[in-house]
Amino acid sequence: MNKKLSLLVLVALALSVFAAACGKKDTDIQKAVQDKLTADGVTGVTASVKDGVATLSGEVADITVKNKAETSAKGVDGVESVTNSITLKPLPTPTPPVADPALTGKVTENLKKAGCTGATVSVENGKVTIKGSVPEAKYVECIQAVNQSGVGSIDNQLQKSK
Amino acid sequence: MSLQEKYQSLLELANQNGTTYNLSEADGVLHIEGNAPSSEAKQQIWDEYNRIDPDFRSNDLVLNIGVSAEGAPSDAAHTYTVESGDSLSKIGQKYGLPWKAIFDANRDIIKDPDLIHPGQELKIPI
Repeated sequence: MNKKLSLLVLVALALSVFAAACGKKDTDIQKAVQDKLTADGVTGVTASVKDGVATLSGEVADITVKNKAETSAKGVDGVESVTNSITLKPLPTPTPPVADPALTGKVTENLKKAGCTGATVSVENGKVTIKGSVPEAKYVECIQAVNQSGVGSIDNQLQKSK
Repeated sequence: MSLQEKYQSLLELANQNGTTYNLSEADGVLHIEGNAPSSEAKQQIWDEYNRIDPDFRSNDLVLNIGVSAEGAPSDAAHTYTVESGDSLSKIGQKYGLPWKAIFDANRDIIKDPDLIHPGQELKIPI
């Protein structure tokens, strides 16, 4: 009887010590994750750890920050897996493009400067439609010229000629 | 899949090669505007764009990356190079601007509005 009781006490004691150790461990890991995020320059993200699983939450503007937070957390000792519940903030709207005639002139001239004769431009409400064809070797450069003209959006129908 | 997810490898690459950028979005089009430290870095980003969206046909990204080293930020003032046969009013028509607006923006290089020369770089006030 006595022996049974002491065994029971021992088991109970062991369990409580185990539980305490676990709890403490999670808090420690949580702190380590949070510290690692700060060290890696990730702000706006909160970590919580339960049974070695780190859950990341918060709102960030850029998906690379969300990814970085996950990588940072995975690298922390004691983290077995990461649940990435970080959400992305809606992005601001871009600066509106200049008026359509001005944008037409700008894109046309930028294409000309890039040597993209053969490309034609039309603009409606900031959306630039580009048609015609340019030599294959020039294609990327011509698309760059359009992208760098302060456009609202692009309808790319430009063809490559050999 | 959000546009940021679609283009995340491009953004990761920009972070790695030292390109700084701003993100904005409207009507299903993601805008990435930034500056690369070198033309090689810019080229890497464009190569990645071409890999994700071959020949750039999706029309869901405006990628405006300048090269800081060249001192030409993407929002640099627009200029027009005068061609033979051009007049200020003709150039104005290309931009929907009165000739006087172009003359005023270039008084430092144009003395007589009736006299411009092929090859002159005119600032266009847009």
